[in-house]
Amino acid sequence: MIVQTALLVGLVLFSVLAIVLRDLLKSAISLAVASLLLGIIFFRMNAPYAGVFEISVVAGLITVLFILTIALTGAGDEVRESRLVNWVFPLVFVAFIVIDALVMKGLLGKIPALASGGETGSFGDVLWKGRTFDLVGQIAVILAGVFSVLALFRKRDKHD
Amino acid sequence: MTPKMLLLPILLPAVLAVLFLVLPRTLRLVRDALALAGAAVLLYYGFVFFSLKTLELSVPWLGLGIDFELRLYHFSSFILLALAGFLILIILYATVKMKDAPRAGEFFAYVFLTAAFANGAALANNFVPLVFFWEGLLVTLYGLITIGGRPTSGRTAVKALLISGFCDFSMILGIGLLWTISGTLTMSEISVEPTGIAAVAFVLMMVGAAGKAGAMPFHTWIPDAAVDAPVTFMAFLPAAFEKLLGIYLLARISLDFFKLKPGSGLAILLMIVGAVTIVLAVLMALVQKDLKRLLSYHAVSQVGYMILGIGTAVPFGIAGGIFHMINHAMYKSGLFLSAGSVEHRTGTTELKKLGGLRKEMPLTAFGFTVCALAISGVWPLNGFVSKEMVFHGALETGYTVFAVAAWIGAIFTFASFLKAGHSVFFGDRTREVPAVKESPPGIVIPILALAALCILFGVYNKLPLTLLIQPILEGHVEAGAPLDFTSHALDIFNPVALISIGCLVLAFLLHRHGFLKSGRKPFLASEPVHNLPVVHKLYDLAERRVFDPYEQGVKVLQGLSAVLFKAVDRPIDFIFEKVVTVTGEKFTGILKKAHNGHYANYLAWCLAGLVIIAGVISLLAK
Amino acid sequence: MIILFVVLPLVVAGILPLLGKVSRRVVPDLLANATLLFLFVYAAVAGRPLIAGGPVLQQLSWLGEAVNIRLALDGFSLFMLLAVSLVGLAVCLFSVDYMERYGAKANYYALLLIMIAGMNGLILATDLFAVYLFLEVAAVASYALVAFGLGHDELEAAFKYLMLSVVASAFILASIAVVFGMTGSLDFAAVASALKELNAGAVVGVASAFFLVGFGLKAALIPFHAWLPDAHPSAPAPISAVLSGLLIKVSGVYAMTRIFLNVFGLTPALSMVLMSLGALSMVVAAFLALGQKDMKRMLAYSSISQVGYIVLGIGIGTPLGIAGGLFHLFNHALAKGLLFLTSGSVQQATGTRNLDEMGGLAKRMPVTAATNLVGALSIAGVPPLNGFWSKLIIIIALIQAGHPVFALIAVLASVLTLWYYLLMQRKAFFGKLNEKWAAVKEAPFWMTAATVLLALLCVGIGILFSSTVTTWIQPAADVLADGVHAVIGSWGF
Repeated sequence: MIVQTALLVGLVLFSVLAIVLRDLLKSAISLAVASLLLGIIFFRMNAPYAGVFEISVVAGLITVLFILTIALTGAGDEVRESRLVNWVFPLVFVAFIVIDALVMKGLLGKIPALASGGETGSFGDVLWKGRTFDLVGQIAVILAGVFSVLALFRKRDKHD
Repeated sequence: MTPKMLLLPILLPAVLAVLFLVLPRTLRLVRDALALAGAAVLLYYGFVFFSLKTLELSVPWLGLGIDFELRLYHFSSFILLALAGFLILIILYATVKMKDAPRAGEFFAYVFLTAAFANGAALANNFVPLVFFWEGLLVTLYGLITIGGRPTSGRTAVKALLISGFCDFSMILGIGLLWTISGTLTMSEISVEPTGIAAVAFVLMMVGAAGKAGAMPFHTWIPDAAVDAPVTFMAFLPAAFEKLLGIYLLARISLDFFKLKPGSGLAILLMIVGAVTIVLAVLMALVQKDLKRLLSYHAVSQVGYMILGIGTAVPFGIAGGIFHMINHAMYKSGLFLSAGSVEHRTGTTELKKLGGLRKEMPLTAFGFTVCALAISGVWPLNGFVSKEMVFHGALETGYTVFAVAAWIGAIFTFASFLKAGHSVFFGDRTREVPAVKESPPGIVIPILALAALCILFGVYNKLPLTLLIQPILEGHVEAGAPLDFTSHALDIFNPVALISIGCLVLAFLLHRHGFLKSGRKPFLASEPVHNLPVVHKLYDLAERRVFDPYEQGVKVLQGLSAVLFKAVDRPIDFIFEKVVTVTGEKFTGILKKAHNGHYANYLAWCLAGLVIIAGVISLLAK
Repeated sequence: MIILFVVLPLVVAGILPLLGKVSRRVVPDLLANATLLFLFVYAAVAGRPLIAGGPVLQQLSWLGEAVNIRLALDGFSLFMLLAVSLVGLAVCLFSVDYMERYGAKANYYALLLIMIAGMNGLILATDLFAVYLFLEVAAVASYALVAFGLGHDELEAAFKYLMLSVVASAFILASIAVVFGMTGSLDFAAVASALKELNAGAVVGVASAFFLVGFGLKAALIPFHAWLPDAHPSAPAPISAVLSGLLIKVSGVYAMTRIFLNVFGLTPALSMVLMSLGALSMVVAAFLALGQKDMKRMLAYSSISQVGYIVLGIGIGTPLGIAGGLFHLFNHALAKGLLFLTSGSVQQATGTRNLDEMGGLAKRMPVTAATNLVGALSIAGVPPLNGFWSKLIIIIALIQAGHPVFALIAVLASVLTLWYYLLMQRKAFFGKLNEKWAAVKEAPFWMTAATVLLALLCVGIGILFSSTVTTWIQPAADVLADGVHAVIGSWGF
């Protein structure tokens, strides 16, 4: 219980750090740590596949991509913003956490016992047989990704 | 013959109109041929429909009783036929007269569009399509007047549009009231007693119909248009189409929608409007110095006879009014077309400059004379028959004053036409106009055709009366009442006819007096009347448009707007500028600042939104 | 074969880049337009007879074995499919000329078709996760399309769009998880019947709140709208048209409506929240639009405002209100698509989107000015164009349901809408011709054709609105008004 809570708190903390930190490198590292913690949570909740995907894709692949990009690009100009603006998100976030905690306490009593998962079966079964339509969607996403990369990295012969 | 064929008189001219708009000027012959062919087809179908007697088309449209309903019955088929007949004559005339006019293609387009709308209005059996077509006529009216191309044409077009628009608005109000009373919009199903609110509806709709027909006081644009618009337009709309449609609607209002009783307040109102129109307009016509303006005032005056006839609410009078409608359309159209013929050759229509053209333009002169005699009510032409019927009807109501007014009108009608005919065709040849020839056949044929019809409808009045008019009145008179108008139509040996002839004699004497007094100048023959002491003042004021409600209305509006501007608009503007816009700008500014592109802020909004929404949902769900 | 709506665009998209190597312009243009034309004709002609007897459920089989692809086509889905294919077709036609200067047309069409496939998949889906997935498909394609111009502003706008869109996806996923946990299933029918039996009001409330945030972000309701004013103007004009005209409606309004009305059931609480959000969006976005100098930004804020109308109408919950909201959805898709397309014409001719720099363009680009006027008047709600009828229906529905205040707000927002549209018309098209634009010409053929097509539709639907409503809108509204019953029973497998 304690471990789970610590992992969850850590996850939230590092995620917030990822968007609040000004230094890009530190930001990317925070993301990697958050993802690692999430992967561990998945493992502990008996979802090994989810954990593997999470850690390898986010903490691994994406973090590498980010760090590469940061290394290849120079430091940009800092955008000057008023101090007030910087406080908005943290304040709202804290308020949200407080309200959330209070609400969840009251809510937990009212939630009926969660039904055990409807569609059981091995991962492969569920993916191929149970959710075939999603595969069509996956193909679409992959195609979209490929074409996006092709489009965004095309040679431009004239500027518009 | 399926009911869908009823759409032909509406769609065919509309399609042709669009075609004429895009046809280039170089294809003038194609345009002329198409126009004539189209008009011929419409005329043919006019006859076909007339022989068909009844046909109905009903398409559910918007619900709530608003359906697209067309109904062919004796009255509407008669109007349809008349419209088609005038259309082909006008088109024939226009192919010659408008040959080199710069916007001839537009003219043809507008004319056909008018025909489409007019056919639709005549056939409509539901008030909503009727209003739609009626309003469409406003647009073509405006367009046709602007084609005149004179500096004041635009102003006159706006004036015509506003006056007609006001009348139409009144009609729409009346229709709305009628809807609440009767509960239906289908015209053939409505028949209410004209009392209380229904009377108000009657008056409102009457304003609409009378305004369309050009009665006083909604007539003031017509004399202006006579000068500013092409003469072909004058022969087409104010002379024929508008009278046909306006009186058609007025007749339906008095016979079908409301059961008008002779001698009732509303009937007397109609008769007053008719009588006043007859007298005042003809007095204005008498002193005109331009042939087209003279004719246009007469157009207004003759409408008075129609309204008076319908207002008598007596079968004889109503029949006379409706018969006068078709007769007037014929001879007034012929008169305008002859004026156009004169203008075509001589380049002017000022009475001062014209004279003695009968030798050089005999056919035009003949047509003009026949039509002039017809409008004056000379036996045995059609004008005589219809006027006599109106006189008889007026006397039958017991209010002799209206008959007297009608007779006074007859006097001055004839006097002014003596002046006009004398000035233009008879009398000495003036030197101000060079030698001319007769106009081309395309112009002369319609004039002669109309003149022939005037003679026919007069001598053989049994044809139009039994075929066209009588069926309209069937069902509206008590059983057994005499519906036979023809037996003594040409009877001159009754008191009414004798008085009419006496009026004609008086008119002749008046004209001769003025002619001699002014030194044998026929165009000054009306001066004695013009220069009568009080009358002269009134004429002056009329010329200065003091009696024109539109012009006065415009002046009042200008004064009112100046007051409003200073007292109301400026203060509101101040509040607006200093308070509202500034507040609005500040608010917008605050919002704009908030959208600064800072991602975390946007996230914060999302979270805040989530909390608020969740809170609200749970609050409300309890 | 309803699956064609999803598979056909995908297959064509797959082969387009390959064909694009061979033929850079003609074949991609032809293929893309042909695909959309086919989809449109299929939806318009074959669609209604298909659902004449009730919703059609298709269980596909592959080589004899039943494959777990279940699609459902009912009045609401068909209506949306029609809107998607119609606006998509106009956009494709427009792109034939407009995308010349961006290059890589085959790629562009491929991404556009994937977006269309994603939207269609969402519309036809029968379970929650498929909704999420196809949402993402369309979204990913749209990220790339927004950035297609590769300029600084475009990339930044695409990035912002991506960032906020991801938040939306997260919330939607969270809600799906909650629902799955509660009911043990993701299928619409199963969830609906399970929820009815469960009586777990509070949890449904939480799930609804998450869905509202998620779909509200997708639909750009205030306060979740912040990405739209940057994303839509920066995208190439035809993409702006698809985004504003279709994507925010399909992935935002359609998904939200389908789930809230047919799966959860519209409770009074939810109705009030939806109506309030709608009213808020209507008014605030209208004010924001007033202050804009950039033509497309003004149109983007206007989209937010109009989506407010749609959500307000649907939120009323009465059959008339739902019909009004759906009709406005359709009309806005047409009109806003039209407006973005004409703004593209203007941008191509003048090179600027700044209203202050334009002026008197109607003299040089009369067709564009006329179609733009039709679109603007349609959204402003001027009779007899289509927008007038849909707004009128919504206002009448509000009054009938006893919400006079909302009706008043709707009318006021209409006035504001008319104000800023007239401002746009005046600044851009009417007035004196700015000398800079003395040499501009009317837009090329396909661009003009596409805008004229949409303008004619606006006018035609305005005149024939009653038959449009009875043929297309009413069946959709009936399905929604049925609420949960439309899905339980008829969609159960």
